[in-house]
Amino acid sequence: MRRINFLISPVLILFLLTNCSKDNDTATDTTYPEIDNTASDAFPKQCSIIKRGETFTFRTLLTDNSELGSVSVDIHHNFDHHTHSTEVDDCGMDPIKKAVKPFLMIRDFPIPAGSKSYQLNTEINVPADIDPGDYHFMIRLTDKQGWQTIKGLSVKIQ
Amino acid sequence: MKKFFILVFCVLWSKVLYSQEFRLSGKVTTTTGLPVKYVRVSITGQSRQSVADSAGVFSVYGLKPGQYEVNFIHIGYQKKIQVVVIGTTDVFMAITMDPWQHQLKEVGVRNKRGEIRRQTESMNIEVVGSEFIQRNLGGSLMQTLDRLPGINTIGIGSGQSKPLIRGLGFNRVVVVDKGVKHEGQQWGADHGLEIDQFAAGEVELIKGAASFLYGSDAIGGVIDIKPRSAPAKNTFGGAVDLIGKSNNNLYGTSANLFARQDHFFYDARVTYQNYGDYSVPANQVFVYDYAVDLKNGRLRNTAGRETAVHLNTGYIRDGFRTVFYLSNVYSKSGFFANAHGLEPRRVDTEMHDRSSRDIQMPGQEVNHLKLINRTEYSIAQHKLQIELGYQRNFRQEFNQYVNHGYMPPAYPDTLPIPPDLEREFDKHVYSVNLRDEFKAGKHLLTAGINAEYQHNRINGWTFLVPSFNQMTTGAFIYDKYELNDQVLLHAGMRYDYGRVRLFEYQDWFPSSGATGATGGKLIRANNLTRRFSSVVWSAGINYNPEHFVLKANLGKSFRMPIAKELGANGVNYHYFSYEKGDANLSAEQSYQADLSLGWNAKNWSVLISPFYNYFPNYIYLNPTAYHDYFYGAGNQVFQYSQSKVMRYGGELKLRVDLLKGLSSEFVGEYLYARQLSGDKKGYGLPFSPPISGMISLSWSPAFGGGLDDTYLGIDYRIAGKQDRIVPPEKKTPGYTVINLQAGTKINLFRQPLILNMQVQNLLNTKYMNHTSFYRLIELPEAGRNLILSLKIPFQLKTDAN
Repeated sequence: MRRINFLISPVLILFLLTNCSKDNDTATDTTYPEIDNTASDAFPKQCSIIKRGETFTFRTLLTDNSELGSVSVDIHHNFDHHTHSTEVDDCGMDPIKKAVKPFLMIRDFPIPAGSKSYQLNTEINVPADIDPGDYHFMIRLTDKQGWQTIKGLSVKIQ
Repeated sequence: MKKFFILVFCVLWSKVLYSQEFRLSGKVTTTTGLPVKYVRVSITGQSRQSVADSAGVFSVYGLKPGQYEVNFIHIGYQKKIQVVVIGTTDVFMAITMDPWQHQLKEVGVRNKRGEIRRQTESMNIEVVGSEFIQRNLGGSLMQTLDRLPGINTIGIGSGQSKPLIRGLGFNRVVVVDKGVKHEGQQWGADHGLEIDQFAAGEVELIKGAASFLYGSDAIGGVIDIKPRSAPAKNTFGGAVDLIGKSNNNLYGTSANLFARQDHFFYDARVTYQNYGDYSVPANQVFVYDYAVDLKNGRLRNTAGRETAVHLNTGYIRDGFRTVFYLSNVYSKSGFFANAHGLEPRRVDTEMHDRSSRDIQMPGQEVNHLKLINRTEYSIAQHKLQIELGYQRNFRQEFNQYVNHGYMPPAYPDTLPIPPDLEREFDKHVYSVNLRDEFKAGKHLLTAGINAEYQHNRINGWTFLVPSFNQMTTGAFIYDKYELNDQVLLHAGMRYDYGRVRLFEYQDWFPSSGATGATGGKLIRANNLTRRFSSVVWSAGINYNPEHFVLKANLGKSFRMPIAKELGANGVNYHYFSYEKGDANLSAEQSYQADLSLGWNAKNWSVLISPFYNYFPNYIYLNPTAYHDYFYGAGNQVFQYSQSKVMRYGGELKLRVDLLKGLSSEFVGEYLYARQLSGDKKGYGLPFSPPISGMISLSWSPAFGGGLDDTYLGIDYRIAGKQDRIVPPEKKTPGYTVINLQAGTKINLFRQPLILNMQVQNLLNTKYMNHTSFYRLIELPEAGRNLILSLKIPFQLKTDAN
């Protein structure tokens, strides 16, 4: 009997320790911010088509449970198929090709301090002389605590 | 506080004994410097004799001037006879005893030594021998040691991992190999430890602050890897190890040959391991929402090769030994191809799946060359030790060129850097350690100095850390005072000085919007020189009455900021993070209190080891809310900063012998960390292992009939969930895993064969390890793994005595 107690006691101790350690840290935020481009007027979406020499409106909803940080957009070519998007759908890639004058845009968009939700609505101009083809439209969103959500969309520039 | 410890030193010093009659005293140690306790010391033709105490120290009183023949006898050791001349003073002898037979009998002796070490150090120490390594053989030395409470690993794949001691790792843990600090690229989570586990004779793990002995970095603890002991006189033999693993189809061997005549010996070893992609209990994993199909559950491109060559040779005679250790450890391994870090990658599935053993990109190649000389000389009451070391760590990381950020779309063929060389680190390290250990009355004093010079250069088309040179030097004194048979007091103090010089680095490509003399090429690092100095101390007590064990230790440790913390200024594209150093960081300080309380009874024992640790200025890579558009090319800024950190936790060990040969053990560990200031106030620290425990049953039946040392064991591991996370970590659910071990020694025609078997993850459970490199992309840990190893020791010539 004593021996059985010995075997059970560690399990009990472990159980107690697990329960003791639960409480006090509810204060820290561990939630990632969200990039929501499911709305019907959100743009771009996975596999969207963007025209050269035109301006399009980048529209997406950014939310966080406590406070948004900053948002960054990086449009770069994927002619070499180096990476894939974070999304499920495959958009049917053009054949691999060499970049001559690919479009590159790295930009941030201000988010008012203290926002839990922000509707991004901004115009982006695509020059007419850039290489058409497969591009990645990467959105990086942080919250105040430093959690970052990445959405990598595959788009085509024609 | 400092003054107080100086005072304690003086008090301890002043108690040096003086006696009217001449006294012969001394200390008996093994060739590796560990005390041999209870050695019988007798003098030929005299009735006087003595038995060494638990620290290996003996005294024979009332000797008249003259020449005496002193005999040292102890079970498991070769008898030793030493001639001593007593003149007009007391005489101190430092005696080393050799184990009776090389390697075959090593096991029992080692276990005992470990016990002695634990009883005579106030720090929390675990000692494991080569037998432990053989029984629990993991993919790397650290994975093998993972079984110990308080020890975890940051693993990448099946063959690479680095140590975590009570949740601290990277540059907060010192790895010492053959007396010299092992220097690689400790800062990287995807970098392993360049150590051949087959060459390790004994591993000593210190959990807690040990800077006063080991200098900067020994904040979290120390892993001291000791070489196998020198062969006994007039022997010639060796051993062949054969290893196979089912999960990653590993095959490997380690072959060893040793010989010794009277004074000269040599010991050579070659290790080779070759493994394929490891498999997980899943046919599909998700990188973000993107499904990645795995062929037969294999993680594409995680195969690897490892070779190690060791050549040791030395000269041993009474009171003097010198040994040269030459080793070269090389490894080449791949990273999971479908996602590197947080970066999803499109792969040629057909090319990768053609073979599970090929190593494509991304991958890494590391070569670590080491030449060490250890010399020990005993004269009068002193034991002098010198270690001289040279190391070269050469690491290359390969990846296809991808024009991240502002890099040109096509890789310029005018660039001297190979297009697939993403990063290269070339490190040369020169080390010198000098130590004098001497006995004065009941004081065992150790004083020493250490110096190290590092020369680091970088290459590759991405930039993270600049080239740098670094010089560190330190001096320490440590006193172990034997108050009585049951109480040992410890006090140590150390001064360190270090200088680090970072060199300028300029991008090879222009960044959009940048102008000036460099033509838009950003200067990422400026020349910078920083100097650091620190005084650290430690004080402790051991109280060992018959059944009870008490240890307490209080110490201050420190760590110089590394070049990456001071000078990082580049994008780690695999994590979409722009890592930014801070040239003004101060040296990290840490205060730690350790306690161990235990009870050893005949059929059971218990040991509980809590600790408390406080950092006034922990260096932390803080993920901020910002993005940088210039140096960071649109990535999130991770800024090195310092904050107050509090940590506590502990380990529990409980052993019960149920029946003869059947014993049960429980080990558990718990850790809590909290940042008390700064941007992440209230959060914990990255790579914090969750609460965990392991219940194990082991059975050692005595079968007879040519089978010895038979054992059967089962481990049931329970890990809790980890919800205390910091960006960019993810919460990890808890899990349970079952492992089995079995082994025996078969004697065939007087030739022993030692067979060990393990089944890791018996139920093929799908789980994630919070401290794994692949945790962020949700890769499960390895599935069921059957490990077989066979050791064939042989002695072609044995000592006739």
